[in-house]
Amino acid sequence: MRVFAELMWFFKAHRRQYISGVLFIIMGSTMSLIPPKVVGVVINHLTTHTMTVRFLLEALGLILATAVLSYGTGYLWRVRVFGGSIQLATELRDMLYSHFTKLSPEFYHHHRIGDLMAHATNDVQAIQETAGSGVLTLVDSITMGALVVAAMAITISWKLTLICLLPLPLMAYAVTRYGRMLHDRFMVAQEAFSDINDRVQEYVSGIRVVRAFGQEAWERRTFVELSRDVVQKNVAVAKIDALFDPTISVIVGVSYFLAVAVGAVFVVGGSMNLGNLTSFTLYLGQLIWPMLAFGFLFNTVERGSASWDRVKALLAIKPTVVNRPDALTTAPSGGIRFDIESFRYPESDRAVLADVHLHVPAGSTLGIVGRTGTGKTTLMRLLLREFDLTRGDISIGTTSIYDVELEALRSAIAYAPQDDFLFSMSIQGNIAFQNPDAPFSEVERMARLADVHEDIVRFQEGYETLVGERGVTLSGGQKQRVSIARALLQDAEILLLDDTLSAVDARTEATILNALKETRQGRTTLIATHRLSAVEHADQIIVLDDGRIAERGTHEELLRQEGRYAEMWSRQQLESLVEQGGAAL
Amino acid sequence: MSLEFVDESIGQNEKGTLWRLLKYLGPHKGRVALALLLLLGATVADVLQPILVKVFLDRYLIPRHFPETQLILLGAAYLLLVIMTAGLNVLQLLMFQTLALDIIQSLRVELFDKVQTLALEFFDQTPVGVLVSRITNDTQAILDMFMTVLSTFVQNIVIVIGVMGGMFALDPRLAFYCLFILPVMGLVMWVYQKVSSPVFRVSRQRLALLNAKLNESLQGMAIIQAMRQERRLRREFGDVNEAYRKVRYRNTQINGLMLRPLVDVIFMFSLIVVLGFYGTQSFFHAINIGILYAFVTYLSRFFEPFNNMMDRLNFFQQAMVSAERVFRILDNPSRRPEPEGADRPAITRGEVRFDDVSFSYDGETDVLKHLSFVAKPGQTVALVGHTGSGKSTTINLLMRFYPVERGRITIDGHDLKSFSEDEIRSKMGLVLQEPFLFVGDIASNVRLGNEELDDEAVQEAAQFVQADQFIDHLPDGYHAPIGERGATLSTGQRQLLSFARTVVRQPTILVLDEATASVDTETEDLIQDSLRKMRHGRTTIAIAHRLSTIQDADLILVLHHGEVVERGTHQELLAKRGLYHKMYLLQGGLKESAVGQ
Repeated sequence: MRVFAELMWFFKAHRRQYISGVLFIIMGSTMSLIPPKVVGVVINHLTTHTMTVRFLLEALGLILATAVLSYGTGYLWRVRVFGGSIQLATELRDMLYSHFTKLSPEFYHHHRIGDLMAHATNDVQAIQETAGSGVLTLVDSITMGALVVAAMAITISWKLTLICLLPLPLMAYAVTRYGRMLHDRFMVAQEAFSDINDRVQEYVSGIRVVRAFGQEAWERRTFVELSRDVVQKNVAVAKIDALFDPTISVIVGVSYFLAVAVGAVFVVGGSMNLGNLTSFTLYLGQLIWPMLAFGFLFNTVERGSASWDRVKALLAIKPTVVNRPDALTTAPSGGIRFDIESFRYPESDRAVLADVHLHVPAGSTLGIVGRTGTGKTTLMRLLLREFDLTRGDISIGTTSIYDVELEALRSAIAYAPQDDFLFSMSIQGNIAFQNPDAPFSEVERMARLADVHEDIVRFQEGYETLVGERGVTLSGGQKQRVSIARALLQDAEILLLDDTLSAVDARTEATILNALKETRQGRTTLIATHRLSAVEHADQIIVLDDGRIAERGTHEELLRQEGRYAEMWSRQQLESLVEQGGAAL
Repeated sequence: MSLEFVDESIGQNEKGTLWRLLKYLGPHKGRVALALLLLLGATVADVLQPILVKVFLDRYLIPRHFPETQLILLGAAYLLLVIMTAGLNVLQLLMFQTLALDIIQSLRVELFDKVQTLALEFFDQTPVGVLVSRITNDTQAILDMFMTVLSTFVQNIVIVIGVMGGMFALDPRLAFYCLFILPVMGLVMWVYQKVSSPVFRVSRQRLALLNAKLNESLQGMAIIQAMRQERRLRREFGDVNEAYRKVRYRNTQINGLMLRPLVDVIFMFSLIVVLGFYGTQSFFHAINIGILYAFVTYLSRFFEPFNNMMDRLNFFQQAMVSAERVFRILDNPSRRPEPEGADRPAITRGEVRFDDVSFSYDGETDVLKHLSFVAKPGQTVALVGHTGSGKSTTINLLMRFYPVERGRITIDGHDLKSFSEDEIRSKMGLVLQEPFLFVGDIASNVRLGNEELDDEAVQEAAQFVQADQFIDHLPDGYHAPIGERGATLSTGQRQLLSFARTVVRQPTILVLDEATASVDTETEDLIQDSLRKMRHGRTTIAIAHRLSTIQDADLILVLHHGEVVERGTHQELLAKRGLYHKMYLLQGGLKESAVGQ
């Protein structure tokens, strides 16, 4: 029940809606007491032969009025209470989304997207149910239960009431118990389901391998096995499910039996009449729902509060990279200076970068080469402040990047990351992602610079072509070039290309690099790459090895040093050199 | 919003779909009949209870006549009926549910079998997530529908009929008046279905959109933040979220107007009819109170089934959409190429011949034009060219992933079409550009479902391609677990493993799609070395991205826009100073200008 208290901020904000909703529930419950009573009174008049036309009309009129009124209240509380819970879910999703946009990359290292999705869907759903059906059952089972019991005890017979109520708590217990068992077994069944889901996912993704190696029969066997497992675990759920309603019907049946049998004794004794007995059994019927609901309530609230705890914990996580007090709001400008003593990712105890001291003059190009995992990407991520340095400083011009607001810093940097992620929107929308209002001519110009224009116009819908599941699938090279165009459109002073040319061929790479050279004169470019040809013309190249600068210099200087760079270069060139010599150029 | 995707054609033929689904019950006639019988028994036992109370009231309580044995019998009979109802219900519910589960099991397997026979084009055109969702989620939704139809609709209709029967047994005339409830409830259900289904459909679409948006934002958060688009995306998400809220609210409104509140009103109307009927009767003759009691009890039970059914209507609709999607796959005419003719030749020498082969995926643009070449047994033919030049298509055709429609491919003089699937898969070894690893362990990834390969064969293959060096360093060696997509291994290690799985099958012909991904130099050397060993003594058709790796090829075909523009050996092609020469220089990078200067 604590979850209701913790959600009070929401109920308070929408108190009118909730208070009126609760009042309508109570009104509806109260009105539902009328028809059984009327039936009883009519029966009494019939048994005593005192029925008059006038009384009959009055009685029927009363039921009619109840019908109309309870229809109104029934509609109103539903719209208020369920409407409120939908509102809550909407607000929670907004809160989560906006929270997600503020969290730093570190957060995304620790959390899988699937889990985050589950919080925003399943958990929000469970909280919505708590605020909807939960509130309803809480209010309804208490007021309805209390009212019906009061009506039975006060207007008919408290003794009979007591006797007939005896089996009912058993029902609430059974419902809670079964509910929990159902939930547990359902979770097991869900796991089996997710196993088969993973398996099928893998099968479909690897279909070429499956076909090339003729493993169809084996795949089928595995699939049938997993599918059978799902069925077995669902049968376990069905077993409890099948017990649910019948168990309740037995308890209710016994209660009815007691009502009629003991009630008959009272009727014979004269303390009750037939009409009252009829009303009583009708009331008893009305008690079933509150009892059931009470049982459900525990499970709903239990699930809801577990979900709320998860959502709350998520919302409590603070971004690790934040604006520092008195940070400047103007974008920094000028050369970049890295003074990195050492840097390690928060979850790791190994330094990714150490003793990286480097100056990149404004307007120059820096090439960063080295093997995978030597810190090339990290260097760029530090500049973007995806992570904060603990020892050392990075500055642009004369200002430390930590003295600038994130927004201002990032406005000075255009970034084409290693993983060429595009959004499921049109190609134009993707290129103009940073500035959706950019004129089309600009978008096209950037696409030309990134040498992807020709590819785009070859699609049927040109720049309007949708990317992703609902549209075309771009090749790796095309994605990279769109991602470069997207970065270029930002027209920032600093451009970061993080191995963004790996999937394009040598000719395209050369075209793009040439175009960049022409259009980005006077501006700073950082290129991380495996392929040395991409940085050959850079003003300065650093070779990273295990997080340290192993060599630095221009292409020619590095070749002259005959170190690691020269070795890499010759490895990449060796065979062709030999062959060119032999091919008599 | 461009993301909004509405397949209008889905959900148009619900009747046909439902009928087709119900046909799956066919093979289970016996179980269906038994379950129905149990349900019938339970319903009769249930409906009899108020009649016993009526007997008690009319025959014993009102006349104040209490013969002990009869009363005890009556009470015992009542309790027995209560227990019987419950017991029979447990059995029939369980039977119906397991029946539904069994049906889904066979539907799933049928679907999987169908997917196995589909042409690769189908997989190219269908996103992985969509297909996975068809096989798992959609069949699950159909399961819900079977449970709903069997457990809710059949049950509740039987209950309604049972209660109706009880009413007719008590008082045919009044029961006849009460018949008005059926068309009224029918109308309510019909209207509800009409009004709510479009709203429900929209709500499902908006939810899908909402989730897609969220999922994508989470995936692209780094870019969103680097490009400072947080505010815009929050706004966009807010809009999608609000649109979903609106339609959910609308749904709540419709439910509030049409579901329980309305059913309650109809219940009270029927109460008015019954009371009015007896009230009027009482002016003319005495009334049987027991019947009135039983009638009121029946009425109070009569409406719950309708509530249950209406609650489930939307599930039903969802299931129909899912079923239609599943049936679309089952009806998909696309078939993977199958052996033709009566002959089933064997691949012995490994001579591969392409004879004027042209191919188009979409029937419009040819991606391969008049390709002809011969690879004699043991020779290596290399295909080079830019992306989209037709290299991969050549391999796709040779592996019979796609059917050859124009021209002819022969192996050892026999048409490719005539070979059995097994022959092709066992004699032609494919090495893919991106080695796809399955969850399992090292050995299972080499075996790939071929249980006949023993541990020794697996180890030999690994040694042959020099993958044993890294495997031996793994904690569990050949049984070291491999996670999703082999994320625990490096690119180079994955490639070596994919070599091993090809070599272990001792193919006569090797089909190589050279990897482009960059690996460190040591692994690169290992890979090149292994490739050389693998090619030795085998006919090899190779796609090469790095020209340096194919210099010893017997024949190099330079493809451009689907056509062979140059052919010859490495030296011959260099001497031609054509496209190949240019490509070669470009791969050499600066060297050309350096040399030129």
